[in-house]
Amino acid sequence: MPTDTKRVRGPEVSQSPSLFLCKPAAVFPSHGARADGRQRDQVDVRPVFVRCGLVSQAKGSAYIEAGNTKLMCCVYGPKETERKDETDMKCGKLTTDMRFAPFSCLERGSWIQGSQDKDLSLMLHESLQPAVCLHKYPRSQIEVNVMVLENSGSVLAHAVTCASLALADAGIEMYDLVLGCSIRQDGASYVVDPSYMEENSCSSVGSKNQGGLTVAFLPSLNQISGLQSDGEMTEETLTAGVRTCIEGCYKLYPVIQQALAKAVRRAAPPPSES
Amino acid sequence: MATVQVSEAEKVYILHGIRDDLRVDGRGCEDYRHMEIETDVVSNTDGSAKVTLGHTAVLVGIKADIGKPRPMVPNEGYLEFFVDCSANATPEFEGRGGEELGTELSNTLYKVFNNKHSVDLKGLCISAGEHCWVLYVDVLLLQCDGNLYDAISVAIKAALFNTKIPRVHISADEEGGKEIELSDDPYDCMRLNVENVPCIVTLCKVGHRHVVDATLQEKACSVASLIISVTHKGTVTCTRKVGGGSLDPESIFEMTKAGKRVGKALHAPLMKLLQQEESLGKTRQKVGFLG
Repeated sequence: MPTDTKRVRGPEVSQSPSLFLCKPAAVFPSHGARADGRQRDQVDVRPVFVRCGLVSQAKGSAYIEAGNTKLMCCVYGPKETERKDETDMKCGKLTTDMRFAPFSCLERGSWIQGSQDKDLSLMLHESLQPAVCLHKYPRSQIEVNVMVLENSGSVLAHAVTCASLALADAGIEMYDLVLGCSIRQDGASYVVDPSYMEENSCSSVGSKNQGGLTVAFLPSLNQISGLQSDGEMTEETLTAGVRTCIEGCYKLYPVIQQALAKAVRRAAPPPSES
Repeated sequence: MATVQVSEAEKVYILHGIRDDLRVDGRGCEDYRHMEIETDVVSNTDGSAKVTLGHTAVLVGIKADIGKPRPMVPNEGYLEFFVDCSANATPEFEGRGGEELGTELSNTLYKVFNNKHSVDLKGLCISAGEHCWVLYVDVLLLQCDGNLYDAISVAIKAALFNTKIPRVHISADEEGGKEIELSDDPYDCMRLNVENVPCIVTLCKVGHRHVVDATLQEKACSVASLIISVTHKGTVTCTRKVGGGSLDPESIFEMTKAGKRVGKALHAPLMKLLQQEESLGKTRQKVGFLG
């Protein structure tokens, strides 16, 4: 097991005090309004706040806030590939890295990349690769780094949106922006853009459809670049869920476009009429 | 993934063939290659299986250990997956080369089994909060000729069917602590119910059609694939899009339907075969690795 020798951690057998709380774990009702006032069974995504160009040292960067989920992404490149034997003569290479800050989740995480981080990085890579015109950057590498500052649900979906915005801010040529949306299916109803509590609530009833689904979508080309689901669902529920996520992405699209246009205008203001 | 170099002319040939529902080896678009399954191949494990699908060979060994249950679910045991891409399969996997592929496969397996019904985890509990059975599922890739997910999932189902977990007896000893006793009879063991264990179906999008059980050449012609894990009832436990291309939503719906159909049809013959093999008992001729 890789251990982090530079930081002082609690003893191996220590556990979080939240496990010993007297009150029973909150079982989220599968009907009725959601905790933050949004609607069930409707495409009700959290309002997002996005800004480009936060990190001055990076070629392109973006920050996204959706409810309490906060993440930022930096893009470096196109630059020379780090490992010479991986240089591809015909098209560029996209590397993605997604990390969670140790204070981002309820339980303190470690700085060493666990398997969940590697898994999310891989899915981020698969979602972004179809959108970037890599054939225009032969023998080069484009590095995308996402850091999750606070995890309050739908982290992968927002990471995809944030990363594609940062790529656009860096001036990397793309076919389209990639937007992400996720839903959580709980029995017969679903919630769009679930918060952390909604994602991890273990429903006591062993109902048939239980699971989460994340979709990465290119709106103007109508293509799905990333799809990931777990739990157990029937095929019809899955299909309906994918359609719902696509609707959620369309809802986000104008906000993201506006933020990008604002960033471009700020960086290169249009020549004034003289 | 181990890749082969395919020329443009070969790609066109494969594409046109699949468009007319005829693949290079004569199969239809939804046919599997010849599959051979054998269980109980490694005697040191509690359950094992070897699956050969065309030229892909996968060996799964399951060992049951007594461990501490996870804090959030004190009355359940759990499964741990590890996939090792051996350098035997292809020289690309030498050293740490196969680590990335191995992590990807393990992570997908965790997702596939991340639900309440695939394996009866409550049955793996010995005493709540203190002891439970942990099943370490170790997958070894011996040969790699495309379609690893399908072969691995069938091998895991066969190995879980073959797993014999010894029965334990908890007794209180003098100081009030718990003592675990294994029963003396080596044949007194607990078997797992693998009815609900899902099987993974990989559908590769080649041109405008999708193919099941793609070889490495066909994979080189496809831009994206969809992995879907289906139980015998038709419930989908995990889906994932892999590959560097994008898919139309309509093709995803079509591929999901096809995947469900193919996956559902895989379970009944598999269970029948496993039960048949089990019923042969001592008279079974072990083929092992030389057959």
